[in-house]
Formats: sequence, structure tokens, C-alpha cells
Amino acid sequence: MASIEELKSRSLWLRQELFELVMRFKKGHIPSCFSCAEMVLALFYGGYLKLDPKNPRSRDRDKIIISKGHAAMVLYPILSDLGFFPKEELLKFTQPEGILHMYADHSIPGIESITGSLGHGIGIGCGFAYCAKRDNQPYRSFVVISDGECYEGSVWETALFAAHYRLDNFVVIVDRNGLCILDSTEKCVRLEPLEEKWKSFGWHVLTVNGHSYSEILRALDEATTNKTGKPVAIISKSVKGKGISFMENRPEWHNQMPNEEELSRARKELQVNCIVN
Amino acid sequence: METVRELPRDVFINEIREAAIKNKNIYFISADLGAKALDRFRAELENQFIHAGISEQNMIDLAAGMTLSGKIVYVYAMAPFVTLRCFEQIKVAIASMRLPLTIVGIGAGYSYDDAGPTHYATEDVSCMRALGGIEILSPSDTSTVIEAARLTYTKPHFRYVRLDRTYLPSLYNEGDTRFVEDGMVEVDKGKDICIMSSGYMIHRAKEVRKMVVDSGIDVGVIDVFRFKPIDGRVLMSVLQPYRKVVTLEEHFLSGGLGSAVVEALVDHGIVKEVKRIGIRDQYYCENGGRAYLQKLSKIDVQAVSEQVKHFAEKHHSAR
Repeated sequence: MASIEELKSRSLWLRQELFELVMRFKKGHIPSCFSCAEMVLALFYGGYLKLDPKNPRSRDRDKIIISKGHAAMVLYPILSDLGFFPKEELLKFTQPEGILHMYADHSIPGIESITGSLGHGIGIGCGFAYCAKRDNQPYRSFVVISDGECYEGSVWETALFAAHYRLDNFVVIVDRNGLCILDSTEKCVRLEPLEEKWKSFGWHVLTVNGHSYSEILRALDEATTNKTGKPVAIISKSVKGKGISFMENRPEWHNQMPNEEELSRARKELQVNCIVN
Repeated sequence: METVRELPRDVFINEIREAAIKNKNIYFISADLGAKALDRFRAELENQFIHAGISEQNMIDLAAGMTLSGKIVYVYAMAPFVTLRCFEQIKVAIASMRLPLTIVGIGAGYSYDDAGPTHYATEDVSCMRALGGIEILSPSDTSTVIEAARLTYTKPHFRYVRLDRTYLPSLYNEGDTRFVEDGMVEVDKGKDICIMSSGYMIHRAKEVRKMVVDSGIDVGVIDVFRFKPIDGRVLMSVLQPYRKVVTLEEHFLSGGLGSAVVEALVDHGIVKEVKRIGIRDQYYCENGGRAYLQKLSKIDVQAVSEQVKHFAEKHHSAR
């Protein structure tokens, strides 16, 4: 289990890895990955996930789905680092000879489900959690959804179901970076008060700064020792594009590629860790 | 001999219940559609039944997660809702991951006659046929329902089982299960012309056969149990005695059984004269019941008989 200092250095590493991953073939979604980077790193290196890279389908493994499929690639450097597939695969991201697709799917070791269309991962993850309960298995199901994903009605269908069946082994993390493709969520169609919405659906809700490991670890500790009988929603207040100043909070960078000048500026900025605690 | 007239859904669910008693991995999920047999299932196998709420989208994604966890899962609702309401969920979570799961839709065609277009399943076949890797079964009597149910747990696959709401009379003799292997069976022999149909409509096809016999037309009747995939070799051999083929369905012509047959004929280089008969290209909000809706749609026995007669007698110079 990594310390906060170790996790912080992972933040620096992951952002650099992801940036180069995308720049190699100019494919991928950087800002959406950067907003959930700390949460995902905390899950994988903070000791919250029981996984076996040598046996990715082991029966009692914890399950994790990055339901915001455009950012599921955030897992690729992590999965290769943990040994789910060779590091060389990162060099072949999106290429015909590679196994890593722009949107992740279940053909990739360590990836539980196809994603890319919003509003599915939460239901599938709920199916995992439900089966764990039924089979008296100790594993948990974690799903990272985007705040924009909360526009999908299916999210709330699952929210009702999980609360009714008291799936307290189910943790949904809402990456609340405040942006969808065209604009801020509050300008597009208001989502707030989001915390109250989840609470009213019968969930145990925790709100954290999505770039503060001290807050994230506290929330994940609580989520994974949860005895409330309720599923847990962690609203992770984050910054889309966190770590590259000119991408931060700018919706137009959702899938835009930097020009030469922006490229070197970004690389320079990524040398400095944007995470402080 | 059937002493009790069991509805297709009751036959199907009873079969699954018996399998589920032995196999604790079988789960049956309903989006609030009931059945007499389901009441028994729920009572006897409480832990293997899930009420999903009236939430078809979550039902499909949930079922995908459960299938990935090793369960044999059935999702059950009225045909229009369990197919169209959650169509993209089926595409993404089931089809694209090639998950072996059974979608059970109740209410083929105008089954829910009094309920109106919201409850009609008159485009479900074309939509579901479009999905990669799906198998579509359309039982026509009790024995076909039983065999369809058995297939779902003996050979789990991504399947849509389309059941009529109403009781369907017996079509096959006891022990005749050729339809399982072949997917289609000639249930009445004819000469020169045949009608291919399924489900509720296969029984109308048999009525048409009786109606046109006085005109000296001997119509063969072919029951199509499996809409997808269609075995080209079986199709060729079943249609071998016939020059003219009529397809009959209580479904729109775009993409339904008729389309499936015509596509298979073309794909396998089988040359036949074909007439597709299905619902006129519009929705009806009308009282009057199924027979009346069929009349409006020009798929009632009288209208079909006229069309069959005309088609049988028609001579084509360019052949």
C-alpha cells in the first residue's frame, strides 16, 4: 500500500505516461483522464483493489470499470505497470498490431467490460456487486462515472436498484469535473445539487477533492469498510485537464490535440507535480 | 394431449424453473411482467428471481454484469419494451461482448391488441435481427416453446425468444423436434406454392391453406422456428418442391421474417417467386381486437387468402 508521497509521484508518472500515449498517434482524451487520475491511482496503488495480474479473471477479484469510456485508457499505464500486459503494448496504443484500443473493452487483460457509450458501466458493475452478495463473495465493485454521464437515465435506474438491494459492496465514483463536451454541466443542463440527488436515492455519499490523496484515501477507507447497508457514491470534485494549465477547465480540449508550441509547453508543465497532498 | 391450455410464457417459465431448481446459477429477471408460472418461480426460487423495477435499461446492463459473473440470466418483459426500450444496452452490453443471455419478449405482433401501438411488437424482429451474433427463436406451439426454453440453458447463447401472449394450438406431433436442428419445418405439404410463417401467424397460414383449397390451390405451410440464423441448405431443401413462396407475418415488412427469407434466398442463390405479406406500413390506434387489427393491416385470413390465390394464379412471362 503506497504512501501519499508515493502516490504523488505516481501522479507525475501517470500524467506523463498518458500524455505521451496520446501524443504518439494523436489519439485519446487527455483532460478526462487527468481529472480522475488520483482517484484511479489511489484505487490501484492504495491497496483497495484485490487483483491478480497473472490471473485477470480470478474469481474473487475486485471489479473496476471506468464507465466514462473515453477515459478508460487511464488504466493502460497502470495495468501494464502491474503486469497485466507487456509495457510494449503502450507503444502500440490504437495501432493495428496492438491490443489497446482507444476505448477499452473486455478483450484487454484487466478490463472488465466494454465502455464508450455512457450509462452502461454502472449497471454492469451493479451486476457484479449483486452476484458478489448472492454468492457470499467478499469482492467489491467499483465504477468510475463522469458527471456528464449522470444525464443518462440508466444511471438513476441502477441507483434505485443498488440501494434497494443494499449493495454496500458497490462504490460509484462520480468524476465531477464539471464539464461535458460543449460547456459546463451547470450551463448545459443543471446537475446540482448532485450530492442530494444521490443521497435521496438511498446512497451513502462522500464528497472529496479529487486531486487530494489525503481526502481520497479517507473516502476510500470509509467506502471499503462501509457498513451502512447502502451503496457508496463518492463525488470527486476534480479539474478536467488537471496538470496542463491551458487545458484545465476548457471544454474545447476534450479531444483536441496540441500544436507544437502547446506540446512543449505541456511537456514542461508535466515535469512539475500538480498534486500537493 | 394438452389438458390445460398453458400460455407460452407459462410453458417457458415452468421449463426454466425446473432447470433453475437444479442449477443455482440460473437467474430470472422481470421488468414487472408477470405470469402464473412466474408466481410459482418467485415462490419456490426467491433467490433466483429479481424484480428489476420497470427499468429495462438497468435490467440489461445488470444482466450483463451477472452473465460476466458466470450466471445464466433471463431478462423478461413485454416484447416491445425488452427489445426497443433498451436496444442500445443490448447492443453494447450483450451483443458487443457476445454474452450468452436470453431475452424473453412476450406479445409478438398484435398480441396486446387492446393496448395500442406502445404494446405492439411489430418491428422488434427487424431491430433484433440487426444485432450481430444474435439468435432469434419464434415458437409456434407448446412443444416449440419447450424446446426453445431447453436450448437457452443447454446451449446458452445471445438469444431473443419471441413469444405470443395468447395460447397457441399444437402444431407438431409429440416427439417431432426437427425444428430445433433445422430451424424451419414443412408442417403441411403442398404443391407449387407455400406459405412461410411462424408463431400465431402459422396457425392463420393453416387457415389460409384450408380456405384456398376450393380454388384448387394446394398450399404448403412452412413453420420458421429460427429467424436468425437461417440455414441456407435447409431453406433450399424445404423450398425445393415449391416455385412460389409467400411469407406471412404480423410485423412490418421492413426487416421482418419476409426480409430474412428473401435475404437468405438471395444469399444462397435460390431463385423463387416471393410474395411478402405483413402489416401495412403504419400504426393503428383502434379498438376491435386482434382480428380487426389484422383486417385493417390486410393480414387477416380472408385478405391473405385472396393474395395467395392471386399470386398462385399469376403467370410471369419473364422467367
